[in-house]
Amino acid sequence: MNDVIALSEDQRDALQELMNISMGQAANSLAHLIETKIGISIPNITAVTPTGLYELVSHNQQSYYTRQSFMGDIHGEVMSILTQSGLEEVAELLEYEQPLSDNDIKETILELSNILAGACLAGLSEQLELATNLQMPTLFAPQKSDFSQYDWQHSLVMEVKFDIQVSSFTMRVVFCLDDASLTKLKSTIDELLG
Amino acid sequence: MNEPLLDKLPVGICLVNESYEIVYLNAFFLDRMPSDLREVALGKPLADVFPEQIKFLKRRIKSVFVLKHPSFSYWEQRPHIFPFKSSRPITGEETQMVQNMEIVPHKDSETQQQYACILIQDVTAQASYFKAQTQLAEQLKEEHEAQRKLIRKLDRAQSQLIQAEKMASTGQLAAGIAHEINNPMGFVTANLNTLEQYAQNLLETCEATKKLFASHAPERLEDLEALFEATHVELIEEDMGALLQESKDGLDRVSEIVSTLRSFAEEPQHAWSYLNLQETASQLVQLISTQFKKPKYKVSCQPEQLKWYCETASFKQALTNLMMNAAQSIEDSGLVMLDIKQTQSGVAIKIVDTGCGIKETNLKRVFEPFFTTRPEGKGQGLGLSVAYSAIEKHKGKLVINSREGKGTVIEVRLPRLQEDDDTTANESASTAPSESL
Repeated sequence: MNDVIALSEDQRDALQELMNISMGQAANSLAHLIETKIGISIPNITAVTPTGLYELVSHNQQSYYTRQSFMGDIHGEVMSILTQSGLEEVAELLEYEQPLSDNDIKETILELSNILAGACLAGLSEQLELATNLQMPTLFAPQKSDFSQYDWQHSLVMEVKFDIQVSSFTMRVVFCLDDASLTKLKSTIDELLG
Repeated sequence: MNEPLLDKLPVGICLVNESYEIVYLNAFFLDRMPSDLREVALGKPLADVFPEQIKFLKRRIKSVFVLKHPSFSYWEQRPHIFPFKSSRPITGEETQMVQNMEIVPHKDSETQQQYACILIQDVTAQASYFKAQTQLAEQLKEEHEAQRKLIRKLDRAQSQLIQAEKMASTGQLAAGIAHEINNPMGFVTANLNTLEQYAQNLLETCEATKKLFASHAPERLEDLEALFEATHVELIEEDMGALLQESKDGLDRVSEIVSTLRSFAEEPQHAWSYLNLQETASQLVQLISTQFKKPKYKVSCQPEQLKWYCETASFKQALTNLMMNAAQSIEDSGLVMLDIKQTQSGVAIKIVDTGCGIKETNLKRVFEPFFTTRPEGKGQGLGLSVAYSAIEKHKGKLVINSREGKGTVIEVRLPRLQEDDDTTANESASTAPSESL
């Protein structure tokens, strides 16, 4: 493993705790917006290679994918994996009218990704006192991308799973940071740890 | 806010307060609004000014107020949020502006008031470029598919052509050879018959001489017998019959080969007429089963007593050859099935056997004349090529599927031919009632 992404146990624990708090806030905001209960998993922090990332995001065939980049004090991308099942119920919660058109489905996917990824990032940035800006989300097809061509060897990913409890819908949000941002993140965590 | 600067931005800005009222519009936004709304928009509820998309806008603005982070809308899903005209009223192809929207939360640092800032980006040019690209890609894909189909068709046509060419040239060669062999065969056969007669006469003469000696000069009989023994007359008598029979059998085989060659090569002047396929099939199975007793035979014909217009002799020859092959492929026990079915456009004949099958490497060559896997003297390798050319004459198709050790399926598809079809026009269509084997 690359030195840059090797987190000490303390750093990892701190990051996990920060993620936990910000994810909780994200879930709360969404729950408030669509007036329903939302469950979250314990954030999973791992180091991956490009193929590892592919496996992480693409093990479910029946999914929609989006990606969204963020800039500011830290740079990176968020990938969201949304199950196809249960999406219609969620769209209804977002006040879309049935039956859903193809564009309604796409808009729901993009909107959900933006809300959750945005809430996660906002929470994390706030905890770490870093300024970030989230860009527009776009649909993404990992099957069509060649992960092995990516220009990096290792990356740190933070993964969290949301369940919307009225339906079978689940969504995973995966944060990937570039090397410089990772260094920045580590030093920020170190400052917090004192 | 630095308003003159905001008026220069190539982005539409609309600021909405928590009661969804418009509190600011920049020049980009104002310029593109219908003129009657321009004067009155400020201070009005968003719902009054832009009623069409208000449900969507309110939902998004609410999410921005609640979540305190931006919301996006992309032109592909929702191209015309605000009823803005295209920025090129003269030369543009689009009449309405295609928009990307971003709503960001904004907090006034003095009043601590919350606002939602709607940012509109004109992406008409990108969108129409993207659409053109997509259309082009679609078109390319279609053309590519069409070309691939064409290439496949060409490939098929080429291999058919090669096959036909092979058959034609070997056919001519075979006809020539058949003719050349027939001439010597004629006199060899005739001479052999004469020789047989001569030999018989000679032997009879020997026998008569012996009798003559016995009655008229018994004292010299011993000498004569000694002479006969010295010239092996007895042995000659014993052996000659077998030798002659073997030679005749050999000649028969040669003439059989020659006639098969000719039936394969030459255009036979046989008659076209209606053939009762069911009757033909059962008779054929009867004939073959006397020769090949090991397999079980099964015949089916739908509809029963189906009559088919064909060139009867070559058609029967083809069926016979295919069935013979199937029967021969079974070594110990197995099944040979002949299934005839009328289809919408013609007739489908299936010959299935559970015999030894054909090696994949040989499958390509089975229609080649003289190609055989049987031991020398057991097969001429003409059966399938004769069948092939007969089926071709009926404008039909012959397809072989085989797996070594499992069996073979041969499918013959024949189109319905009419008495006045081109293929049959110059043949004198027989008026004889349907015949069979």
